[in-house]
Amino acid sequence: MEVGQLQRRLVDYTKSLLTEGILDDQFTQLQKLQDEGNPGFLVEVVSLFFEDSEKLLNDITRALDQQSVDFKMVDAHVHQLKGSSSSMGAQKLKNACVTFRSFCDEQSMEGCLKSLQLVKQEYYDVKNKVETLFKMEKQIVAAGGSVPKTE
Amino acid sequence: MASDTDYDSDGMRGNGDGGLSEGNGRRRKHPFMTWRNNLRALVVDNARTCRIMESGLLDAYGVEVEAVGTGEAAVELIASGETFDLIVLEMFLPFMSGPETARTIREMGISCKILGIAPMYCEKDAQEFLAAGIDEFLEKPFTPELFIPFLMEIDNQK
Repeated sequence: MEVGQLQRRLVDYTKSLLTEGILDDQFTQLQKLQDEGNPGFLVEVVSLFFEDSEKLLNDITRALDQQSVDFKMVDAHVHQLKGSSSSMGAQKLKNACVTFRSFCDEQSMEGCLKSLQLVKQEYYDVKNKVETLFKMEKQIVAAGGSVPKTE
Repeated sequence: MASDTDYDSDGMRGNGDGGLSEGNGRRRKHPFMTWRNNLRALVVDNARTCRIMESGLLDAYGVEVEAVGTGEAAVELIASGETFDLIVLEMFLPFMSGPETARTIREMGISCKILGIAPMYCEKDAQEFLAAGIDEFLEKPFTPELFIPFLMEIDNQK
């Protein structure tokens, strides 16, 4: 595939992620921070986000698995995940965290378990899609092109 | 509500992750905005991805940034004589909370703009944080739309 086609495919893919609400404008703001002086900024910070998020998801899973669930602790973890998701522009994941927190407030075990499933789903979805996006960027660079900015 | 799982909350200055700039003295060559004055900001956030993104955005908009992961580190930095035009302070810090940090900074006689940030807006949290001495309470994400007006205000007043 020639560079122009690869670039158009990337632009369309990014637009679809924004339209579907998987990513929001915060992500496009972060994309702009990547330049010649900091070419790997977004890839690196997103990797850290994935690393931290998986740790939080494991912590939440473990906390909900306890005999006596500490809903305040679960809430604290979800709260932190909400903050980092919104900072990264992972909109659907952020929204899933908001719903999760309401079940923590109600101390609803059933609600929390269902929410955890949804949060994990949204997390893996955004992870897969952002990784696909980065692969597409790599292909463009490998083909000698430059990564187009999302408008 | 400080989380027991501290992500990079050692508070060490300059603890960049994998080479990522958290500010800490490094400046972007071509910022998106320039200012009449040299603007310096301190970012205090224990969540490392948030801290890096907040620092990265401020840096991109022409601000010299220092970033730390704890309230204690922020207080230590200010006590050492470092001055800032803006402090971005997360509410839910481990150990010394955001409100405690804000209170301590104000008691040190620091009058610069402090923006309190948190993952979610809550009226009770906002009241507590404002009473502790911050100037504004903002829900994350920390976006250019949110912080540019404050930078303009600070730049005009310098």
